[in-house]
Amino acid sequence: MEYISIFFQYVGQYLKTRLTYRADMIVEIFSDLLFQAVNLVFILVVFGHTNLLAGWSKDEMIFIYGFFLVPFSIFASFFNIWDFTDRYIVKGEMDRILTRPVHSLFQIVLERMELESLFGVVTGLVVMFYAGDKLGLEISWYDPFIFILLVIGGALVYAGIFIALATIGFWSDSRTDIMPMMYNIGNYGRYPVDIYNKVIKYVLTWILPFAFVGVYPSSYFLEREEWYTYAFLTPVVGIVFFLIAVTLWNVGVTKYRGAGN
Amino acid sequence: MQNIIDVQGLKKEFKSFSSRSGLKGAFRDLFTRNYTIKTAVDDISFTIKKGEMVGYIGENGAGKSTSIKMLTGILTPTDGKIVVNGMNPHKEREKFVKTIGVVFGQRSQLWWDIAVQESFRLLKKIYNVPDQQYEEHMKDVIETLDIGPLLDKPVRKLSLGQRMRCELAAALIHNPPLLFLDEPTIGLDVLVKLRIREFLKRINEKYGTTILLTTHDLSDIEALCERVVMLDEGKIIYDGPLKELRENWAEGKQIQFQFSEEATLEELQHLTQEHLVVWEKGESDLVWVASVEADETVISGVIGKVTAAKKIADLKILEISTEEIIRNIYVEGAVRHG
Repeated sequence: MEYISIFFQYVGQYLKTRLTYRADMIVEIFSDLLFQAVNLVFILVVFGHTNLLAGWSKDEMIFIYGFFLVPFSIFASFFNIWDFTDRYIVKGEMDRILTRPVHSLFQIVLERMELESLFGVVTGLVVMFYAGDKLGLEISWYDPFIFILLVIGGALVYAGIFIALATIGFWSDSRTDIMPMMYNIGNYGRYPVDIYNKVIKYVLTWILPFAFVGVYPSSYFLEREEWYTYAFLTPVVGIVFFLIAVTLWNVGVTKYRGAGN
Repeated sequence: MQNIIDVQGLKKEFKSFSSRSGLKGAFRDLFTRNYTIKTAVDDISFTIKKGEMVGYIGENGAGKSTSIKMLTGILTPTDGKIVVNGMNPHKEREKFVKTIGVVFGQRSQLWWDIAVQESFRLLKKIYNVPDQQYEEHMKDVIETLDIGPLLDKPVRKLSLGQRMRCELAAALIHNPPLLFLDEPTIGLDVLVKLRIREFLKRINEKYGTTILLTTHDLSDIEALCERVVMLDEGKIIYDGPLKELRENWAEGKQIQFQFSEEATLEELQHLTQEHLVVWEKGESDLVWVASVEADETVISGVIGKVTAAKKIADLKILEISTEEIIRNIYVEGAVRHG
């Protein structure tokens, strides 16, 4: 397909630019790693005081965190749209995007990708294998395929939510702090939802379904059968939220007002 | 000839929120908002035929940019019908933009940190231009714009003039039949301007490219366009040949005499009494300006009479510039048709 070939052209260009600024890239990967380490230490500190949290063991929590890193890193590499309003609406860069014969959201994904973040996939896998080993989990031949499916679902959940938020920019270009707040809420998805109260659990499942990025899909690999329904809903929820977001985006584009002049 | 652009009753309104003053006002704004509707483009209609070069002029805020953005599919019109290249720009945006080229003078199409040719390569991919067509066409474009030596430099290291030439080339990668140029020569020096104009003329002749150009620099329009569309407050106030605009508005000419000896008003009036002449004193005692109607016999009559009687050091016939004409039109607010 045409889009795939455009995608690789951009990736090639991206790597070429990045390799000329090697120091930058190393700093970025390093700071990503540091950030992930801090999160892991937090989990370890919590479990320094207790071995079980609402029926989940320390290693299970670490496994969930490891899993969460994978879809999150994919999202972070391709959907850097947290500053969409500022960059594209207020500064009018959207004008340029709209004069090109490729879907506008796809162009923004391509322009804003940060492939360094994909390093988080490696960290996530390492963490999962470490925790999985301690838990004595076994891997079947079909598990890698299910893993890929669930990861894609989780990444689409994240993408859907953030795309939907970015479309607000088409209607109002005033500053909001909703994006950083949403990143914080996203973090709740990497802890088991039954440690929260019912309302929060409901919100994290059906309204801002971040639970489908971490805990629900991981429960499949942790063999927690009571959550299997949710685990397999992950790709469905991902696709539904993503499609809703793209629809909102397409409507938003028709409301675009252009910048000043 | 077929119409490339067909615009009927095009309208664009912006709803904007006007805030009240003071803290009390801010509180009231929370509950009831004052919206004002600003009509940026108000019911305009025109058609442009294949191969035309049209100048689109107007003061800031006259609605030029807004209408160009509707024609290029960036903005959705509030009302009216647009058909460009046989398509509705906004409805079929992705297919439509393959048939146009756009240059916004104040906004770059190129990627800032990568070399110009890399930008071109990405655009080639985006527009899905076959290798052979690209090679042939771009070789010519690159040569004419003389940007060969710039191709391996990153865009951020180019001067404005160099960048602008690259922008033009980038807009033509897919050899579009229709080109929109919004302020393409803004801030450029005379030589670059001339080169860009020549280039535009050339592609117009060679490929029959239709060009719609907005500019504040009327010399661009004079050099390129036979037809102008003039906007004021969102309405078209003139649409026709530039020549006709000049003829209808530039009534009369001025003849400026610089005498080598002093002259008085009475003396000059006496000399030219058989013609209708208004004499005015120029910058110094020796300079006098005669305003006459643009008629050959009158002009030569006046010059003959004066030069026969008095010694002159210099003589100029001043034509009213297009710029002045346009200014006059805006002052009067409408165009008289001859």
